[in-house]
Amino acid sequence: MEAQSTSLNYLPIIFQLLVALGFVVFTMTLTHLIGPKRKTADKLVAFESGIKSIGNARQPFSIKYFLVAILFVLFDVEVIFMYPWAVNFREFGLNGLIEMFIFMGTLLLGFIYIIKKRALDWD
Amino acid sequence: MSASDFYALSPLLLLAGSSVLIMLLIAVRLSHRIIQISSLLLFAISLYSTVFTADILPYRIPPLLIFDGFSSFITALIIFSSLVVNILSYVYFDEKEESPKEYYVLLFLCTLGSCVLAISNHFVSLFLGLEILTVGLYALIAYLRGRNHSIEAGVKYLVLAAFSSAFLLFGMALIYLETGTMNFSEIGERLRTVDNIPVIFITGLGMMLVGVGFKLAIFPFHMWTADIYQGSPAPVTAFIATASKGGMFAVLFRFFASIQGFNFPEIITILSVVAIASMLVGNLLALRQNNVKRILAYSSIAHFGYLFVAFIPRNAISLEAISFYLLSYFITTLTAFGIVTLLSVRETDAEDIGRYKALFWQHPILACVLTASMLSLAGIPLTAGFIGKFYVLAAGLQGGFWLLAIILVLSSVIGLYYYLRIITIMFSKEEHAEIIEKKAHPGFYVASSAALVILTFVILLLGIYPDAVIKLLGGFSMS
Amino acid sequence: MDNLLWLIPALPLVGAMLLILIGNLLPKTYVAIIGVGSITISAIVVLLTGYSFLSSPPEGGQLTQTLWVWFEVANFKPEITLYLDSLSLVFIFVITFIGALIHIYSAGFMAEDKDYSRFFACMNLFVFSMLILVLADNLLLLYLGWEGVGLCSYLLIGFWHESHANGYAARKAFIITRIGDTAMAIGLFILFYQFGTLSINGILQSAPNLWPVGSAIATATALLLLAGGAGKSAQLPLQTWLPDAMAGPSPVSALIHAATMVTAGVYLIARMHVIFELSPAAQMTVAVIGAATLFIAGFSALTQHDIKRVLAYSTISQIGYMFLALGVGAYSAAIFHFMIHAFFKALLFLAAGAVIEALHHEHSMFRMGGLKDKLPVVFWTFLIGCASLAALPLISSGFYSKDQILWYSWAAEGGDAILWVLALSGAFITAAYTTRMMILTFWGESKTEIGHKPGKLMTIPLVVLAFFALFAGFIELPHNFGHFTLFSDLLHPVLPETRLGESETNEWIFQLVAATVTLGGISLAYYFYYKQPQRLSNLRSSGAFNRIYDFWLSGWGFDKIYDTLIVKPVVYLANINRRDIIDQIYNAITSGTTALYRLLSFTQSGSLRWYVMGLIVGAILILTIQIML
Repeated sequence: MEAQSTSLNYLPIIFQLLVALGFVVFTMTLTHLIGPKRKTADKLVAFESGIKSIGNARQPFSIKYFLVAILFVLFDVEVIFMYPWAVNFREFGLNGLIEMFIFMGTLLLGFIYIIKKRALDWD
Repeated sequence: MSASDFYALSPLLLLAGSSVLIMLLIAVRLSHRIIQISSLLLFAISLYSTVFTADILPYRIPPLLIFDGFSSFITALIIFSSLVVNILSYVYFDEKEESPKEYYVLLFLCTLGSCVLAISNHFVSLFLGLEILTVGLYALIAYLRGRNHSIEAGVKYLVLAAFSSAFLLFGMALIYLETGTMNFSEIGERLRTVDNIPVIFITGLGMMLVGVGFKLAIFPFHMWTADIYQGSPAPVTAFIATASKGGMFAVLFRFFASIQGFNFPEIITILSVVAIASMLVGNLLALRQNNVKRILAYSSIAHFGYLFVAFIPRNAISLEAISFYLLSYFITTLTAFGIVTLLSVRETDAEDIGRYKALFWQHPILACVLTASMLSLAGIPLTAGFIGKFYVLAAGLQGGFWLLAIILVLSSVIGLYYYLRIITIMFSKEEHAEIIEKKAHPGFYVASSAALVILTFVILLLGIYPDAVIKLLGGFSMS
Repeated sequence: MDNLLWLIPALPLVGAMLLILIGNLLPKTYVAIIGVGSITISAIVVLLTGYSFLSSPPEGGQLTQTLWVWFEVANFKPEITLYLDSLSLVFIFVITFIGALIHIYSAGFMAEDKDYSRFFACMNLFVFSMLILVLADNLLLLYLGWEGVGLCSYLLIGFWHESHANGYAARKAFIITRIGDTAMAIGLFILFYQFGTLSINGILQSAPNLWPVGSAIATATALLLLAGGAGKSAQLPLQTWLPDAMAGPSPVSALIHAATMVTAGVYLIARMHVIFELSPAAQMTVAVIGAATLFIAGFSALTQHDIKRVLAYSTISQIGYMFLALGVGAYSAAIFHFMIHAFFKALLFLAAGAVIEALHHEHSMFRMGGLKDKLPVVFWTFLIGCASLAALPLISSGFYSKDQILWYSWAAEGGDAILWVLALSGAFITAAYTTRMMILTFWGESKTEIGHKPGKLMTIPLVVLAFFALFAGFIELPHNFGHFTLFSDLLHPVLPETRLGESETNEWIFQLVAATVTLGGISLAYYFYYKQPQRLSNLRSSGAFNRIYDFWLSGWGFDKIYDTLIVKPVVYLANINRRDIIDQIYNAITSGTTALYRLLSFTQSGSLRWYVMGLIVGAILILTIQIML
């Protein structure tokens, strides 16, 4: 630690800022410069897995889809908690088991709520 | 986790459990009325439990949490504010004909987040509490999505809160880099071993202040306030103004007290600039405003500026001054927003100042309640606001911060203008017949009005006979 | 019973609050029950408290009751504490007891008024403020009561606000007393600055140690307090408001402008007597002001037409006696005269009110007359009141109280022959104008037909007051006969005993002279107004006499002097300064803040991008401050 607090001591921070900015600018310019460019009409068409794209991509779609997707993500992420627990299952012992049951129970209550609210019914 | 840990945590556990319970009640399709009443009961129980568990203070759950007199006072205050918001919500949301039930779940979660802030002694718990609070608020702010400004306000809050959280995290990271710990007390101990405050540390502190300042809506992070206050449903605005800020202020105070940030001139300077600018900017912006919710938003900027006047000196009466000021400000603000809530109609909130014209001649009780709260906000003697302001002033002067005290007095004078303006408009004699359409059960109107009248009496009681409360607050120490 | 002290001011406050909040909804009977009942119960509590105070005196002769500490921040600790000693006991007794009688009278007097509840609300509020004033333990609370009575006086003088003249009188009273109040407030600031406390006892105990006798600061403080007292008590040079204050209803004049509020100055000086004793100059000023006032006001009373104005000038003059007594150090004599005066002057005002109402609101005495047989109760009680006011020897209580003052004005340590002569001539005039008033009102031929006679509600208080006006004087008899000193013994623990001067004086001679002078005054008026009225009209035809008469009628032209010396120049200056230079500063502040508001509101654009910018700018600002330091 420094004995004196002067503006000189801010140098590392400014350095960090510069490096962060510089990296972005550097890589963007570099790829722009060294990348080979051959522009043909076919190449500039949006690539959709070989299928010809028709119409606008920004179409309204059912909110239900969004809801289901979000709920999936929610429960999907919760599962991640179980991995570290499973690895250390023995060390945690009975307490760990109870805690995990409380966690899962709460999750289950949420699931009941979702079902009751008919969030998963498509119609 | 031992049994006494659970005991100390019981208010928070109750809040968390309540949110799940209410969710289940919604799942079995109970009516809005039952949900509101049961959530009211649950709030009351958790409020009672904060009082009930006060006997084990001070108590620590290392390394994250700490329970002492100050934290449990703030916790109780936050839960009390949510309770009042809850009472007011029924009438407000029942008219709006949307499904208002999930609102109560979110209210519990936000309260929980704010309470976690109040008891946290560690960056992790700080951030956890902050996010529980903020994520809930996103949804609450945009709750009436049919309204004009609702979604706009929600999105603005989302973007800005996320942005400021990033600053907060960055600041925490810098401090961790310098000290190697995230526990407040340990950070404080590390700092005591050095003569000069390290640069990285103070930069981190500055970055943290961005995040915290955003939440408290102090200059220069205040710009969102008016838009969000205006766009949110009135009870949610009341919540933002009180409960959500209280927790953040408490953790800020705890952090600064434990690192003894008041010994560093840099920090004092920054905070003084922030405080002075907040007092002036807040009051000036409210000056010619015609939207009551925006007026209250700007006034809240100024009021948190006032709080900093007691905060900066960190002397013997700072803690009391801050506690008393928060108490009086919360009660007064809740009362003011309560009136806004009760006067709101289906399409819009009662935010236009013209809505209050000649209010006294139609609803004398509501007008008197609002008058009392305006006088208290302005700091007129015999109201809670006066004692609070006097206290803050005394704390500032004892620390020798004359400039802050002078600015406080001057900006209060500016503030007087717009508070009194609302009062004169209410008493102006012009027939302006607008009847509140009463759809909800009349009992809830009576309950809401009764709650506001009781709060008004508390405002007056705190102004006339504050000594009992001051004695009580004097006993709340911070460990 | 000690713990009931708080009830005494609380009851009138509750009454006032009830009447303010729901008074308009209640029928008149209930309004009267609340208004009169609160004061009456309060008076009963005073009697109980007084009984226990006298039968078992508390330690040190004083009783304090801390109701609550308002708040306690740093070392500022304003307390709401009531303080009772024998001095305040006398005052609360007079306030509640006479107050209750006047309230009963008002219930009858105001029965036809449409603002019945407003009247009682103000009266109750007045009694509350007055009680706070005399029971206050510290000067801050005293000042609260002081301003409270001023406010109520303003409200009640202008009670019949439909008439512009009444509003003018109310404003005049308010503004002139405000001059005194301001001086007093400055005095309080000095006291707080010097002693660090506003507690009356604290100040009185430490003042002699802190200030040497005759020091400039003591004199300044005492004079400032005196100015406050002079404003409230209508003494020179701030006496001009009281005669105009008679615009209020008669019970108001009786309660506020005769018995209680106008004696607040006497109370203040008696309470703070230690400060005055530290400054002989200031104390001398008190005596001189008192003597001059009693002399000047007496002559004015001699010429008035309006019966209430006679009484008003007489009140000024009688309070002058009290100031004189205070000035020469005869404190208990002053308080004694205060009490006796409260009885007979309240009686006179109430009786005058009854006469005025019976004669269809006729105020001029020259259109009264011949009421002796038509209103017998009023006549007899008024006669008793007049006897007491004129200090009729031996049989009236006014004699005993005034005689003390006359004697002390010569014999006391601060006494002086000139003071005595002034006081004595005052006594002569008092006797003269009292007799004149009596004769014009009740004797002679009837000039106005009487309407309805006063009812029981109005006559009973008159009789009770008459009883006290006659007999209350016997609780304190002069040293040379009887030597019965109940009253001064009571006050002795609070107020020092009067120190007599060095020269030996014979009290008998003074009493004989005073009695002769009184009788002389009576016979003079009797001669001019009853025996030989034409002699008076002959005199009035001479120019010089008329000029003096008009001079006295206008109250020695004080209004005119103030008008020329103060009002006209101020109005002139105001006219010059029509565009108000000072105001420009405030305008600048207003436009400045408005401009700042405009400027700042540009930042509230509502654009999210802008707000994010704000956050970043804030962060940069913080970093900049850090780098700069």
